[in-house]
Amino acid sequence: MKRYDLIVVGAGPAGLSAAIEAARLGLRVVVYDENARPGGQLFKQIHKFFGSREHKAKIRGIKIGEELLQEATDAGVEIMLNAAVTGLFAEKEITARVNERILHRKADAIILATGASENMVNFPNWTLPGVIGAGAAQTMMNLHGVKPGERILMLGSGNVGLVVSYQLLQAGCAVAAVVDALPRIGGYGVHAAKVARCGVPFYTAHTIVRAEGGDRVTGAVIGELDKDWRIISGTEKHFAVDTICLAVGLSPMSQLCALAGCAMEDDPAKAGYVPVVDKYGETSVAGIFAAGDVSGIEEASSAMIEGRIAGLAAAHRLGFLDKGDLDARIAVQEKALAGLRQGMFAPGSRGKTFTRTDEGYPLSQNLLRKGYLDAAEISAYPGITPDKGLRPVIECAQNIPCNPCQDACPKHCITVGGTDGNITALPVFDAQKGCTGCGLCVASCSGQAIFLVDEDAGEVTLPYEFLPLPQKGDRGRALGRDGQEVCAAEITAVKTAGVFDKTNLLTMRVPPQYAMAARFFQRES
Amino acid sequence: MTRIKEHPILGVYPKGELVEFTFDGQTLRGFAGEPVAMALRSAGVLIHRYTSKLRRPRGIFCAIGRCTDCVMVVDGRPNIRTCVTPLAAGMNVRTQYGVGEEK
Repeated sequence: MKRYDLIVVGAGPAGLSAAIEAARLGLRVVVYDENARPGGQLFKQIHKFFGSREHKAKIRGIKIGEELLQEATDAGVEIMLNAAVTGLFAEKEITARVNERILHRKADAIILATGASENMVNFPNWTLPGVIGAGAAQTMMNLHGVKPGERILMLGSGNVGLVVSYQLLQAGCAVAAVVDALPRIGGYGVHAAKVARCGVPFYTAHTIVRAEGGDRVTGAVIGELDKDWRIISGTEKHFAVDTICLAVGLSPMSQLCALAGCAMEDDPAKAGYVPVVDKYGETSVAGIFAAGDVSGIEEASSAMIEGRIAGLAAAHRLGFLDKGDLDARIAVQEKALAGLRQGMFAPGSRGKTFTRTDEGYPLSQNLLRKGYLDAAEISAYPGITPDKGLRPVIECAQNIPCNPCQDACPKHCITVGGTDGNITALPVFDAQKGCTGCGLCVASCSGQAIFLVDEDAGEVTLPYEFLPLPQKGDRGRALGRDGQEVCAAEITAVKTAGVFDKTNLLTMRVPPQYAMAARFFQRES
Repeated sequence: MTRIKEHPILGVYPKGELVEFTFDGQTLRGFAGEPVAMALRSAGVLIHRYTSKLRRPRGIFCAIGRCTDCVMVVDGRPNIRTCVTPLAAGMNVRTQYGVGEEK
């Protein structure tokens, strides 16, 4: 039987990060993954990540995946693909199925980084071809270049539902609506806003009544919910769609933890049945660790940090890292993790309702219900100044962990969290620092929430990630935050640069009175 | 058009050689190495199998080999998860009825 120092199960962000840390300290590490490609879901994450520089903010998930794979290779990590770990036994032995064979392996420590699986909802006709998981849509579009359908109804407005809706638009699909049973949008307001400004309507406090179609989806019916989650009769709305996409949450895939005899708990804050772990990610079974979504659903950014912590702790347990070194390194990682776990979207905030930001600004109810900020609300936020000249307008109105705009500005006009460095604080713009209108903040904003506005010239510069890319001189319509036509517009500049990383900057000219309303461009068809 | 020609972030997708395979006897084309289910979806095939009792149609659902809704009879072997099975030239792909081929 082949032996290793450390066996990692799952080659996603947590597992790879764990393996890298351990291998760098000299452990002999193997990672098993049931998929044909490593990286977990990272290679489907084509958007720019949130967080700060230490969390790889403003880098797209696909690039982070490539970096992790390179680091793993450089550290000497062995990765076994198409290898589904099917058993985990006493004394840290595993069985893995590879094709028609079962491998039997042993290690001195195990890190389980098996991730999560998608939740589902049942409704009449939910088994019809054309009803798919949001993950399936991402896999089809972003890995294989195949559109899941032409016209899609998205069920679920958490970050997955919002991000995948945007990706569907980028792939050239139409999104008929985003529907959520809760009375408010679950994911980041900035993710919702970039979908809404493309003209996609949000239906909160609505659920699906049924899918329509004989042998494939031809439509969907939704209805409004009352306070007791019953559909209010007469509120049904029909959509002609060929695809219904389900993005109704994730559950930890913790079966192997339970199989190994780890103490388990059902914790709503962690979105399901998870192993009980200490601050190192170690379960109740000494030497078995859990990291990433398997021990509580969060973002890939935090999964990578949890992975690093577990990798370091496993190295310590096996004698490759002394206690002092371990504590010093863990302290750095914990600080990074704490930075992500602040604000209204932190795991500890699940289920809570907020009416104000941490700073005391009123939370936009329009953003929560419809996915966009109302024109009357925006002047309340510190990223939006009343000046008229060329300046960034930062439509960032929720405490999300993110600060690339601050780092991007060469003139230091934008600050997030001031001296205490709290990255969930709302960005503040200081006109005195001398904004040059370079647009780096526009391209760096992972939420695409920053616009350059010049009301004197009637010009708006917006982030644009669609094809075909409009050209200078193109005429069309300017759309508002709600995706409705505001006025006519003409493209006066298109900027692309390597440093923008595929976020193009479109500048459109509009009548000056519409400069604070126009937020998207649609070419004349 | 189901295939994305050029993506604003991903550009042009790296694909294998264009090959022929058969679906219920009909010749279709797809790219070698991509999942069989992607080649079928691109050719407009959505129904992969019919359930054994109620004969209800099923197709792609999770696309990562977990749910088994997309299983078909491939080269004579039933219950093949087409979403994680790479396409090869000359493959014989058949709709699955219950747990095997139509009787």
